Amino acid sequence: MVFDNDSSDLECGPGGVQTARRAPRLRLPRELRAILRGWAEAGYPDETCGLLIGESNPAGPAVREVRRAENLERSRAASRYFLDPAAFLDADRDAREGGLEVLGFWHSHPDSPASPSETDRTRAWEGYGYVIVSVDAGRATEVRLWRLESGTFQEGEIGE
Amino acid sequence: MTTSARLHPAEAPASHEHTQPPEGGAEQPVIRVRIPTPLRTHTGGQAEVHVSGATVREALGNLVSEYGGIEEAILTPEGSRRRFVNLFLGDRSLRTDEDLDAPVSEGDVIAILPAVAGGSAARDSRLAELRSEIPEVTPREAYDLQRSGALLVDVREPDEVAGGSPQEARRIVRGFLELQIEEHAADLGTPLVLLCAGGIRSLLAADDLRRLGYHDVRSVLGGFDRWKRDGLPVEEPEALGSTERERYSRHLLIPEVGESGQLALRRSSVLLVGAGGLGSPAALYLAAAGVGTLGIIDDDVVDRSNLQRQILHTDAGVGTPKVESARERLLALNPDIEVRTFRERLSSENAERLMAGYDVVVDGSDNFATRYLVNDMCVRFRIPNVHGSIYRFEGQVSVFWPGSPESPGPCYRCLYPEPPPPELAPSCAEAGVLGLLPGVVGTLEAVETVKLLLNVGEPLVGKLLHYDALTTEFTTFKVEPDPGCDGCGDHVGSAPFLIDYEAFCTVSAA
Repeated sequence: MVFDNDSSDLECGPGGVQTARRAPRLRLPRELRAILRGWAEAGYPDETCGLLIGESNPAGPAVREVRRAENLERSRAASRYFLDPAAFLDADRDAREGGLEVLGFWHSHPDSPASPSETDRTRAWEGYGYVIVSVDAGRATEVRLWRLESGTFQEGEIGE
Repeated sequence: MTTSARLHPAEAPASHEHTQPPEGGAEQPVIRVRIPTPLRTHTGGQAEVHVSGATVREALGNLVSEYGGIEEAILTPEGSRRRFVNLFLGDRSLRTDEDLDAPVSEGDVIAILPAVAGGSAARDSRLAELRSEIPEVTPREAYDLQRSGALLVDVREPDEVAGGSPQEARRIVRGFLELQIEEHAADLGTPLVLLCAGGIRSLLAADDLRRLGYHDVRSVLGGFDRWKRDGLPVEEPEALGSTERERYSRHLLIPEVGESGQLALRRSSVLLVGAGGLGSPAALYLAAAGVGTLGIIDDDVVDRSNLQRQILHTDAGVGTPKVESARERLLALNPDIEVRTFRERLSSENAERLMAGYDVVVDGSDNFATRYLVNDMCVRFRIPNVHGSIYRFEGQVSVFWPGSPESPGPCYRCLYPEPPPPELAPSCAEAGVLGLLPGVVGTLEAVETVKLLLNVGEPLVGKLLHYDALTTEFTTFKVEPDPGCDGCGDHVGSAPFLIDYEAFCTVSAA
């Protein structure tokens, strides 16, 4: 699994020592986040999308490469996306050859918050990280990570 | 169109997958099937499996019979490809039923890839609905409302706010709005005006606040962009940088700290008297917590016998000045802070120069002359003196602060008018000390210091905390200010005289 469902983190809670489930974490370095913001802004007012490729190591998934893919929802691109499967195939092959994996996907929400919509939820898959970039009046703002768990999206933490 | 940006040239870790099909005398070709992450629960985590078959359909048939659970994910009961899964044979997309009958040959790769789709879809109707329910105001109207007492809340992200924000706006990131609004507006009737960059997030945020029970909530049309265009007053607020936000993220989650508290810590300066057993943990934690300026006074050099408890220093530093060793260690922990070092012994001559201007003094000294001097200077400067002392298995902590604006407390002299005889107060060098004890006591001093800097909770003013490590007991004693005290009592002027502390302690102790 790219995101381990049982990844737990021993931390101290208010009552002393306890096991606290920490939000799933994805390492997505600032430079790559800046690239996603740039792509999301360039695509505005349409939704843009792409893939996150990286390592799925025991310390947590770490993105090494981001890709932009064509949004095949051409007529409804302002509020929908459909990631070009050919881009996914290329990414999957290149990732495998480089010893990496497709860790998840990103897409933009023009003039809408970086939280998943019902459309996102019904089309999402467990095991991948979904990064959403909010673009407000042409400027990228929030970048947030989501992950489907038992049918509902849980927010994750983006780290360096 | 595929654009890619790679952070580092791929240094490919070794692949754990089999890339060669197993050898054998199977009559049918063996092909490789790429399994997507969501389906790997059915393949025991394997990203690629090998199956045999003469056509794609046969291969998939063998796949689903070997790995139960995959079938319903990729094929309909009728044996067609499910719409939300894409199948590829090499580069060829398999879209139709006929495509599934394509012949395969040894080593071919079938990739099963989930369709990736979604979108903000429901947005337009939702926004129209919100617009009909939540009053929107122009920036000019928002400005007038703010001047007549409404709370203007900028809900944008820190990076955006750093470039400018309406004057005197409260800045609460949208993600924390529900958690933090109560601190800014305890009354649900408080008139609130929300602002973002373009007017969409503020509308959604207004909806969130309405659900919390706030009933006078408005959203600014056109957001900050229009606010600026309309020439309304803007300020560039003090803000944490992105590295700081990451470093202090666990502080930012605590309402009592948050960004304003973290900024307060960054503005603060703390003087540590002594970089020894108590000063070590105190300095490390204060540096880690982001106290902007740490002054350290110590004239000693690192001795190997210090290392059992003085965790600022290292074996490699034996023989070097403690302040140098401390500076190096603290900046390695947090390069964003300023560390001022003074390799001097605190005395009547230099005390005023060294101690002026700090917000809090942490006394980690090991002798009475210094303690009285620190006390008298703190009384004079009206700043809190966070005191700690240790003896074998016992420690004491208190905050001496007669100048506290809220609840003036005693000074060190109220508690100890004169130093005890030396046989009753041996130093660590004479009596020994459990190396872990200053870790507890010095850390408690750091906690009290941060509380004072953040102005949260109840500082240990007028109270002496005693810790007994052997019985694991913390006991708090009340300490009253002494009106007749030589340090802070009624008869003492605003500036207690500086005396010869060495002589005072030697004579009293003799």
